[in-house]
Order: sequence, then structure tokens, then C-alpha cells
Amino acid sequence: MNNLYLAAVINTTFRYTTPVLFAALGSLFCTKAAVFNVALEGQLLAASFVAIVANYYTNNVLISLLAGVAAGAFVAWIVAIFQIKWKVRDMVVGTAMNLLVQSVTAFLMQIIYGSRGTVQGFGMVALTKINLSFLKFSPFLYRMFEDLSTIDYLGYIVAVLIFIYFKKTVSGFHHLSVGISGTAADSLGVKSQRIQIRAVVISGILCGFGGVVHAMGNVTVFAENMTSGRGFIAMGAASMAQSHPLVAIGSSLFFGTMLSLSKTLQGYINSYFTEAIPYLCTVLAITVYGVIVTMQKRKPAMKA
Amino acid sequence: MKHITKAYGPLVANDDISLTLNKGEILAVVGENGAGKSTLMKILYGLESADSGEILINGEVRRIRSPYDAIACGIGMVQQHFMLFPPFTAAENIVYGHEPKSRTVFFNRREAVKSVKALCTQYGMYIDPDVKVADCPVGLQQRIEILKVLYQGADIIIFDEPSAVLTPQEVTELLKTIKDLKRAGKSIILITHKLSEVMAVADRVMVMRLGNLIKVMQREETSIEEMSFLMVGHTLKTREIQKIQQGRQILSVEHLTLAGTAGKPVIDDVNINVRGGEIVGIAGVSGNGQSELIQCLTGIRKFQSGRIIINGTDVSNCPVQENRDSGCACIPEDRYFWGNAAEATLVENSIMSHYKKTHLMKHGIFNKKNTCTFANDIMAEFDVRYTSDRQAIQELSGGNVQKLIVAREIMQHSPFLIAAEPTRGIDIGAIDFIHGKLLEKREQGDAILLISSELTEIFALSDRIYVMYEGRIAGEFTREEATIDKVGLLMMGGALDG
Ligand SMILES: Nc1ncnc2c1ncn2[C@@H]1O[C@H](COP(=O)(O)OP(=O)(O)OP(=O)(O)O)[C@@H](O)[C@H]1O
Ligand SMILES: [Mg+2]
Repeated sequence: MNNLYLAAVINTTFRYTTPVLFAALGSLFCTKAAVFNVALEGQLLAASFVAIVANYYTNNVLISLLAGVAAGAFVAWIVAIFQIKWKVRDMVVGTAMNLLVQSVTAFLMQIIYGSRGTVQGFGMVALTKINLSFLKFSPFLYRMFEDLSTIDYLGYIVAVLIFIYFKKTVSGFHHLSVGISGTAADSLGVKSQRIQIRAVVISGILCGFGGVVHAMGNVTVFAENMTSGRGFIAMGAASMAQSHPLVAIGSSLFFGTMLSLSKTLQGYINSYFTEAIPYLCTVLAITVYGVIVTMQKRKPAMKA
Repeated sequence: MKHITKAYGPLVANDDISLTLNKGEILAVVGENGAGKSTLMKILYGLESADSGEILINGEVRRIRSPYDAIACGIGMVQQHFMLFPPFTAAENIVYGHEPKSRTVFFNRREAVKSVKALCTQYGMYIDPDVKVADCPVGLQQRIEILKVLYQGADIIIFDEPSAVLTPQEVTELLKTIKDLKRAGKSIILITHKLSEVMAVADRVMVMRLGNLIKVMQREETSIEEMSFLMVGHTLKTREIQKIQQGRQILSVEHLTLAGTAGKPVIDDVNINVRGGEIVGIAGVSGNGQSELIQCLTGIRKFQSGRIIINGTDVSNCPVQENRDSGCACIPEDRYFWGNAAEATLVENSIMSHYKKTHLMKHGIFNKKNTCTFANDIMAEFDVRYTSDRQAIQELSGGNVQKLIVAREIMQHSPFLIAAEPTRGIDIGAIDFIHGKLLEKREQGDAILLISSELTEIFALSDRIYVMYEGRIAGEFTREEATIDKVGLLMMGGALDG
């Protein structure tokens, strides 16, 4: 394997990481307010789809981006109303929403494009790329960061901002407190439901960015069910990071690596196996992680 | 408050109640379980809304729709269940909702610590602002609650059963604090089941029964006897406990040791034995290993070494079901966490751990009629106040939930009963009744392990008393040897000389 090839793999890793990172941040944002959001997958997919539809009609990056983000937020808002306002079980709402988005997007594809499968071309534009020409001195670094979009970088910035939000702001403090005890927050005049609904909608916005990158980051394309479980992988990433926004960068990068490996290894190994890699790793990583945490908890008890 | 009425379906929790509170006054509200005390206070604090009636503050009609409104009106409440965030520090909890800010969005924690310190000095109540609430004993947590209410600038402070969870020392301190607050010009409403506290601090007393206001009296003009008569509707007799023949050994705990998280054992080489026909009390400030002891005894928690023998069977580290099968029943200390399923109905909660009996269940199918009859019978016998047996248990008042759990466990008629805080939060009439039931069980030759932070309860019932301190048995007394002073000293970690 030569150096530039490695740089290319890292570059792919960054691309695959972004949607996972955004969704993972959305997930932990909800978890911190004691909401278990299972509908991340649907939020991602809706954003990807609506971004592509907007792109198809306008060929405008900004409008597509906004449309995608709005779609993610809208799906999340419905989830919030059912799950928080009407207290429907998280699993039920989440699963229903994921299935609903999957079938509605397939249905609308049929109506708008007259066919299902993939939508591509039509003069659709991709996200604006940032080319770091000052890196040209090193072909390796240049290849590594080649053609990443603004939003790829935004993911890491948002993670840091969320970290600061929880650590330093009053609003973030209230957000955390709702995650600890909603009744206590309510009894002190902080409206926990409102904070929870806001958390879910923000997770929708985050997933919106993720979905848009997923559809318009590289080749601009929409394929039926194209997020293929990224929302669930993100849930794994968030729980592995124990809902810490900065650690979530690490865990998302891990899953990003697995996704990119599964793509790059396709030429060498049976593709049925390579496609399973990210999901196998999710299970494996969570198992290993779970075992380590339990061991740590048990250790002090054993010593005594 | 004028003409407040509140009904939950057919049940009228508050029926046309009017009350006045003067500035700088302590008003005590007493009444049996389910009388509607908490409901009335929740209405005042905006947690519930009244069906009719109005609230006037300084002569002005105010609408209080949420705690936020209440706080704005200068009303603060220290609730029955603390409203604290354990992972946060004391200062963070105190300033919660009114955080000092820097540049409009950021939480200025340094400023928060400073104002908390100032508040502490102003009222003479000291805490470490940086300590985590999770690491505070209950008494300190309550102090944090009070400081929080003061920080919010409350002039009217409501205490809902503040002493139910405190140790005697902490109670003394609390009563002193309440008096200090009065001197600082605050008006105070105090809900309590302990009439001695009423006599110690209150200016006026309001007695409630079945949603009605019975009488408001000046403290000087009344007595404990009169209040309890008004509350319960009859007079309570003091009880004589006869010595009875003790039976065989039912519980023996040998060298029980449970490791803790910080390297120090939570339970350290504990030996306990209880015979049939005997009530053995475990006295101790809560948090000295009693909770863990109960969990080991019932099989919820696995321990490292030692043996537990119940009714002749070695049940060390056995599953809960086996423990129960060998004759152990348990009234858990935290009725909400261990004791019931909040959203399940009264019938479902009543038949827990009874359901395997053949008249209740055959071939895995419940006999609906019998389960209902059974539930209604035990609730009737223990005077649980409810509207329908299909109602969720979380709708009952705190004391009634407790009564139902006590009923369920006593009706096991098991040879061994663990009674942890069996009368927490229940009224004097019901306490008397439950004490009677426990003594009845003792007379039938069963063994009872009574764990209570209420020394009077331990002294009233126990044939023998163990004192627990920091996971060890610090001393053992028979009924004749024990005095409040000796036991209290050991509870605080002191040593008896000679
Ligand atoms: N959410 C609810 N739904 C239905 N009934 C309720 C609800 N909350 C309270 N009640 C009923 O209202 C009555 C008064 O309850 P409340 O909690 O005010 O009693 P309390 O005087 O505080 O009693 P305790 O001393 O046991 O705390 C009880 O009979 C209770 O069952
Ligand atoms: Mg109450």
C-alpha cells in the first residue's frame, strides 16, 4: 500500500465520519435531556432525500442545504410531539418513523422521478469544497484533506460548541438538569418538556446536516434507503462516547474508519462480507466497551 | 387562600378550604394520611391547579399556574421528595433557575459560589458550596433545599413533612432553623405528622381530615392529645408490651461482609440473630449500612463473605425468590423505588409476591375475582384510602402507599419479616395501628427485624436493639438496658465507657 493510497483512505474516512458524527451529536443531545431518540435514521434519510429533491428543482447548494436541514428538523419535531408531548414509547415512535420515512421517500421517488432506485445527474450540484492549496507542499496531507466540504469541518466545530454549551452556559446547565430529573426541574420553574422538545428538534437539525453531506458531499445522489443504518451506528457511537461530545468525535471517527474500510476492501474481499464490516464492528465495539465498563465497576469491589 | 376546592374524579381532596398566614408566623398543618395536606400546598405552589377558589398575597389576588409563578410571588416549597440534582454541586443546585450570568448566556459559577456563601452567613446555615449533593447526607441535602428557597427570595416557605427522613439530631437542627427563619421575617407553613414538632415551633395549628378543614387553633390553646383526637377522631391508648416466650432461631447472620466502592466495606463482619416471637431493632443514622444489609438479606445484592440463614435454610447469595420461599417478607425502606410499581393498579400491587397462591392463580391464569377480593380485603383491613381498586398506586397519598405495602407484606404471614422504616410518612393513628399489627405478628411467634431511623419507634417495639455505625454493629442492648442516651451516643460513633 503506498502512501497516497493511505491518504485517500483517510480522506474517505473523514467523509464517512461526518454524517455519523452529526447524528451521534444529535443522539447525545437528546440523551442528555433524558430522551432516547431512535428516529435518527429517519431524520438522516429525510434530510438526504429532501436535499436532493430541492437540488433537482433549483440546482442551488444553499437552498438544498436549508431544505435538507428543515426536513430533518421537521421529522424530529413530529417525533418530539409524539414521544414527549403524548408520551408514546420511544421505540414505537422511533421505529414507526424510520419505516415511515423509508417508504415515503421511496414512494415520492416514484412520483417525482418515475422510478425507484437511484437519482443522479439532472445538473445537481454538490456541496462547496474547500481546497487547502497551501498543503500542496505535501501530497500526502493534500490528498488527505482534498475536496472536503465546509460541513465536514463544521461537524467538529459543532462538537466543540456542544461541549462548551453543556459546560459553560446556563441553558446547557438546564439541559443537563432535565436529563437528571425532569420533575425537579419542573418544580423549580424550568420547563422540562420544552427543553426536551427543543433537544429533539436540534437533533433533527444536526441529522439534517449529516443527511445533506451524505447525499451531496461526494457524488450528488440519492438512493433508496441510502443511509442504511447510519443512524443506528451513530447511536452506538454516542453511547460508546458516554454522551460526551468530544469523545463522540473519536468514536465517530472509529465508525467512519470501519465504513471506509468496508468500501476500500471491496476490491479484495467478498463484498458481502465487507458490507457487513461496519455493523459487525458496531456490535463488537459495543460489546467490548460494555465488558470494560462492567469490569471497571466491579474492580473496586474485588480489591476490598 | 380562600375557598379552595380540588377534586380528583369522585374524590374531593380539598373541600372549600380557606386559610390565612400572617407575616412572620409558623403555621402547622396536621392531619391523617390522604387528608389533602400535600394537595393544598401543591396548589399554593402551582404544581396542581385548584378547581375553584383564589389565592391572595398581601391582599392582592394572584394567579399561580406554575412553580414559576409561585416563585415570582415569593413562595418557596421544600417538598416531601427533595428536588435536587445529585450530580451537581450544592451551589449549582441552590442558584438553579436564577443563575448568575456573565455575558448573558454563560453560567458564572464563581459568582454563584460567592452568593451562596453570602447567603449561608446571612442565615447562619453553613454548607460547602462545592460539595456534590450526591455525597451529602439527607440532613445536609435538606439544608441545601432550604437555602435554595431562600436564594429564590421566598417570603413564604412551605415544608412538606421535612422531618420524615431526618435523624433526631438533624430534626433538632431543622426546628432551630425554622425558628431562625421566622425571626428573619419569613412566614412558614409546616406539614408534619409529628405533633411534638408542632408544639415546639408552631404559632398556630390547622387540622385537616378527609379534605376538610376541621379546626384552626393557637398553639397555646391546644395540646398533643387534642390534636390527635381531632386528627384521628378517637383517642390513642399507650401500649403495654408483654414479655412473651421466645421461640427458635429464625434469622441468623454470621460474619456478613459486603465490600464498598471506596475500598472500605459497607457492611463489616456483622452478626445478627432474631428468634421467633422477638422484634429486634436496628438503630442507626441512615447511610451506615442498613440499606445494604436489607438488600443482602432479601437477596437483591450479592455479598463477599458470611452466611445468612433464614428459618433453617442457608440463603446466602440466593435469588430473591428462594429467599421469599424460605420465609422472608420485607417492607422496603424506599416505598417508591423498591416497594411498588407506580403505574400498576392497586390490585396488581397488592398481589405482588402473593400471586403464586393457588386461590389467586391456577395454571398461570389469574382468578380475577379472587385477586380483587384479596386486594380489597387487605386494603380494608389496613385502612388504605382509595377511590377504586383499578386506580394506579401513584395516585394515592404517600402514607396510603406505605400502608398498602405494609399490608401486603404482613399478610404474607411469613416466619420472618424485615420492616424497614415501616411507618415513614404515616399519621399517628396509622402508626399506632401498624405497631399493633407488628406486635400481633410477634405474638404469633414470628421474627421481625425492625430497621428504623426513628428512635422512638425502635424503643417502642424492640425486644432487643442493635446499633449500626459505619457498617459495623456498634452495640447490642436488651429492652431493659437500652436508653436513648446510650443508643444515641453509639449511633453518632461514640463509645460507651465502662
Ligand atoms: N394525582 C392524583 N390522582 C387521584 N387522586 C389523587 C392524586 N393525588 C392525590 N390524590 C388523592 O387525594 C387525596 C389527598 O392526597 P394528599 O397527597 O394531599 O394527602 P396528604 O394529606 O398529603 O397525605 P400524606 O400524609 O399521606 O402525605 C388522597 O386520597 C389521594 O389519594
Ligand atoms: Mg403528603
